[in-house]
Amino acid sequence: MAPLKNLETEYPIIDSNFQNFCASHGIFSVEDFLIHDLYMLAAFAEQNVSSERLKEGITQILSIIDDMHQPWLNGMELLEDAKRNKHFLPTGIQGVDLLLGGGIRVGQLTELVGPSASGKTQVCLQTASNVARNYMMLYLDTGNSFSPQRIAYFLGKTNELASAQAKNQILQKVMSNILCHSVFDIFAMFDVLHQLESNLRCQERGGGCRIRLLIVDSISLLIAPVLGGTSTRGRALMASAGYLLKKLAHQHNLAVLVINHTVGSEGGTSKPALGDSWKSIPHSRLLLSCDRGSNVYNVSILKHPSMASGKAARFVI
Amino acid sequence: MGSKAWLVEDESAREMLDRVLTERPFLLLPPLHRVPLRVGNIVEIVGPSPSAKTHILIQAAITCILPRQWKGVNYGGLGHLAMFLDLDCRFDISRFSDLLNHRIMEAANGSSSEVDCQIKESEAQNATTKPYNEELFASCMRRFLYIRCYDSSEFLATLKTLHYRLQKERETHGVNVHVLLIDSIGAFHWIDRGSSSFSLEGDTRKSLHLQSVTETVVQEIRKLLLVHPMLVMATKAAVLGNRYSMNDSKRNYRTWSAKDNLHSRNVTSSDQQVPYREYMPAVWQSLITHRILVRTTDADFVNGEHQNVSTYLSEWLLPPLNSVDKFIVRDTGVFVLS
Repeated sequence: MAPLKNLETEYPIIDSNFQNFCASHGIFSVEDFLIHDLYMLAAFAEQNVSSERLKEGITQILSIIDDMHQPWLNGMELLEDAKRNKHFLPTGIQGVDLLLGGGIRVGQLTELVGPSASGKTQVCLQTASNVARNYMMLYLDTGNSFSPQRIAYFLGKTNELASAQAKNQILQKVMSNILCHSVFDIFAMFDVLHQLESNLRCQERGGGCRIRLLIVDSISLLIAPVLGGTSTRGRALMASAGYLLKKLAHQHNLAVLVINHTVGSEGGTSKPALGDSWKSIPHSRLLLSCDRGSNVYNVSILKHPSMASGKAARFVI
Repeated sequence: MGSKAWLVEDESAREMLDRVLTERPFLLLPPLHRVPLRVGNIVEIVGPSPSAKTHILIQAAITCILPRQWKGVNYGGLGHLAMFLDLDCRFDISRFSDLLNHRIMEAANGSSSEVDCQIKESEAQNATTKPYNEELFASCMRRFLYIRCYDSSEFLATLKTLHYRLQKERETHGVNVHVLLIDSIGAFHWIDRGSSSFSLEGDTRKSLHLQSVTETVVQEIRKLLLVHPMLVMATKAAVLGNRYSMNDSKRNYRTWSAKDNLHSRNVTSSDQQVPYREYMPAVWQSLITHRILVRTTDADFVNGEHQNVSTYLSEWLLPPLNSVDKFIVRDTGVFVLS
């Protein structure tokens, strides 16, 4: 919330006369203009001695406000961007890829929900090992569940026919493409994500190897401690985290996969954690469950932008 | 003489009605078809997540951007611009373009059931109609204007500059914006509530918290509608109240009654009639002229190809009609069942 006088060097129309006029109406920064009635302000300016200059100043402020929002796009431009940038990242799990029409969508926030020991981390590790063959990825680990041995195991399984040297090369490449951070509370996650955002913005101008996948395993462990009770701060943090992830996904062409756990609900059934306010934040929500005593998993759609909920698939890891 | 000339009529009532109905027609959009909507109405579509609310908005947008007629085929649209303010940041343009394509093909082929079955068969037909449709498709897509807002400041900035944007688009395209779609209006509710209102410099300075943001949003929309008459449709994610869903609300009241036995009975009985839990400030509620509630049902509608499609129920709350409509979402859009 920079004060108005900081704008004076760049926009000489916002001189001390204008600043005093605005201050008399309780406006001290550009953000204050957002919640004031600008037409009323112009009407007050009319009654002032230097009305023309004041009104020019208001018009200048409006053009500054015009830079404060995202650009307007039409349908064709959006579609062009989607075709060029928002591909599918295959997870390497056939059942999941078929269900989702190719894999996890770049530009969208996908949530994977499941009770404990339902294979959520396994799906993440398998996806990480598959995506890291070609792209870099960032793995935010909240519960020390990241396992390089498991990644090596998945790579070994899919490359059975390759020579030992080729296997080693692929292993080296994948391992160097995976960036793993341990975060244990939501503020550490915000730190990492803001750092990532500024890195990506710099990289945009310079090129270089870009991150394509972001996995948060699991986001519910970060958010659940701040939720609950009567305070609204927890939900505000949760919503802010959701928007930051969606912004990263859309503006920097990442696919974001977050893990959520389940809690008990009425009648002994279980439902996804984080409550009703979280429900409308991810683009897609997938429910994962494991058949007892086997390694056959079920994944079903809870919510998807273009598919009906209930569609399911089975797979083996 | 002069005063008598002042009393000469401009047009008869019938002519005026004709003119108004062509310039500002009533829209009957499924599943909101029971109440005709026109510019100046502000419709709120309430429902839990997910309940096809965004699809209803997409349906309205497609009806708005399709032309009434094009190369001899009747598309039944308005040929105007549609503006979409994406506050949820979840809009999927691929889904939108699929729905638009299917609507175009349905109108061109004349019957919807044929389109669903023959999509795979008529590849040859597609090849010849593709360029025909692509030109129409591109011109329709260009009439769809989209913006994302990641927080309240961006939303307010968009609204403040919307007047000039509307004028500019009118000059570029030659037609007006007919629908303004907001998805969804309660998106920043918790973030705004969480931002505490530090009152600096005494009481003269307003800060960006929930009440001031909502008041400004309502004020800007009212002023916009004076100069640019549009139909405004906003979705709102809400938790269903006692009337429909016993799950979450019952759990809350159970923990309440452990703490406060005296009041629990009063609360549950007064909440019986509320269809959903309202959280928007009163100033927004007073802006709304129409409200419809949508929700999913457990009953699945089995489509022709053995695909289970979710069924949704819609119920008008304002004006309160005592009827519940069932609808599904197909490839061509929202389809009313009953």
